[in-house]
Amino acid sequence: MTAGSHAIKTGTLADARLRRRKDLADLTCDAVLALLLLLFIAPIVWMIVLSFQSDRAIISMFWELDLTLDNVTAILADDQPFRAQLANSLVIVAGTVVLCGIASTLAAYGLSKLRLPWWLTATVGASCAVVPMLPPMALVPGFYVTLIQTGLLGSLAGLIILNTILNLPFATLLMKIGFDEIPPALQEAASIDGASEARSFWTIMLPLVTPSLITSSLFTAIMTWNEFLMGLTMTSGGTTSPLSVGIASLVQPYEVRWGQLSAVGSLAVVPIMIASVLASKRIIAGMTRGSVK
Amino acid sequence: MALTFWRRSSVFAKTTTLPFLVLIVGVGGYSWAQVVLMAFSHLRIEAGEFVWQPAGFDNFREILANELAMYSLAVTALFVVATVVLSVVLGLVLALLVQRSRRLNRISQVVLLWPAIVAPVVVSLIWLLILSPNIGVLNKLLDTVRLPTQDWLGTEAGAIVAIIIVDVWHWTPVAFLMLYTALCAVDEEAIEAARCDGANEWQVIRYIKIPMLMPAIIGTVFIRAIMGVKAFDEMYLLTAGGPNGATTLVSLHIRDVFFDQLNYGYGSAFSVLLVALMSLAIGAGMLVRHLRAIRPFSATREVEA
Repeated sequence: MTAGSHAIKTGTLADARLRRRKDLADLTCDAVLALLLLLFIAPIVWMIVLSFQSDRAIISMFWELDLTLDNVTAILADDQPFRAQLANSLVIVAGTVVLCGIASTLAAYGLSKLRLPWWLTATVGASCAVVPMLPPMALVPGFYVTLIQTGLLGSLAGLIILNTILNLPFATLLMKIGFDEIPPALQEAASIDGASEARSFWTIMLPLVTPSLITSSLFTAIMTWNEFLMGLTMTSGGTTSPLSVGIASLVQPYEVRWGQLSAVGSLAVVPIMIASVLASKRIIAGMTRGSVK
Repeated sequence: MALTFWRRSSVFAKTTTLPFLVLIVGVGGYSWAQVVLMAFSHLRIEAGEFVWQPAGFDNFREILANELAMYSLAVTALFVVATVVLSVVLGLVLALLVQRSRRLNRISQVVLLWPAIVAPVVVSLIWLLILSPNIGVLNKLLDTVRLPTQDWLGTEAGAIVAIIIVDVWHWTPVAFLMLYTALCAVDEEAIEAARCDGANEWQVIRYIKIPMLMPAIIGTVFIRAIMGVKAFDEMYLLTAGGPNGATTLVSLHIRDVFFDQLNYGYGSAFSVLLVALMSLAIGAGMLVRHLRAIRPFSATREVEA
């Protein structure tokens, strides 16, 4: 800027200034990003912190910090419904993952690798497109009547079926993408060697599609574990409901046990957060792959 | 030979879709048929049995005459527009920042996943612990820095703002992940070429990255809009539709009518109306895209292709 004659020197100077400006820009961007990340984590961390606080410290007007396990031991005590609700949630998740896994894998295999009559392909395809768009609440009245008619209202089996219906279209889509990636030559080779359709599915296709099955099962498991609406409307509460509904029932008009509430919330969240750290690639793949389609 | 192969295997082929069809078309379709049937019926429970009476369009007339029903449609529309715009813009900003950052790239992808996988009912609990006028940490913070405390959940406008903030916090990560994935797939050569031509960072974002991301942005808007209409769990604990019904989103209205007022016909009719309105909106959106796509020499056509 100042000395036009020293061309080389100013060149390096400008370079250095440019580099410094770029470093500064990078740093600013990182700072903004870090602040945003903090906004996204802090609420969760605060709940986990509160689950180790006494109710007195939580209600206090001042900043008081305890470290107590009272809340955790209280919610796991015998007279509380949480153990039963935890067991319910685990049974529902396991049942849904198995049922949804079987139904989605078979349907996706049929769609991807076998020749189906056009009306079957159209029906399954249309279901996969339409069902995820329907608000679950719009289906609740119908599910309610159907479960009453079949005597499944309030049962775990009923909730397993409903959760499977909600997750099946998405799981089928993920599995179909998985099957599409397997080269058709493998199937032809198997059929030339005399393997039946069922046999080549079981011994060749299924092992190859296992990664997709794990992704879709993980996704189904998280969605089912988090499911609230069906548990709320199809059970009568107490020991018959899943954990998510148990959490909501702790918020009562007169006395709220904030510490215990936080502890149950953390109990529902921390396992999934740990799973997400271990399998973030899979969950991200599940979220983005299915939703882009 | 191929023909005999297919014919021989067709029984197994058809069987593969059987479980899917039984569950979705069987149970799901049957349940939806019940909703439609109930929408045109008067239902009472007598001695533990449903008593059905045909009602024609009575239930729909009742909806049109119900102020809260109309309000819930309006407030849901406002909620959807606000949450879609905010979460897509914030998601885009995050995607651009994360892609640029070398130090925080990996950790961002893990951490930003968390809000999206937290159970929605726990999300409402988390925000109750923050926004509650009595024990909320926000008031403690405001008090500490000598600012006036808030009671958003107790006022009508404040409660609407609160559920929008909560929903944006909850679902921006999904918008981020979709846009980030698309951003990583953007052709690096176009960006390099623009930089060689002297474009600065802002111009690269404005004229290269965002146009190339347009299909992904439209997809994200669509998915987020659907999620907005579906919203229920987060509001159920946080505001329960209040104060004075200010945050009664459509799902909360259906639950209230069906399970608390036991007005089964009305609740079902509202479900049918909601799905019909959504179909109309989606149909209109697709029509607009279609018309834009066939317009000759349009810029969007090239970008989308």
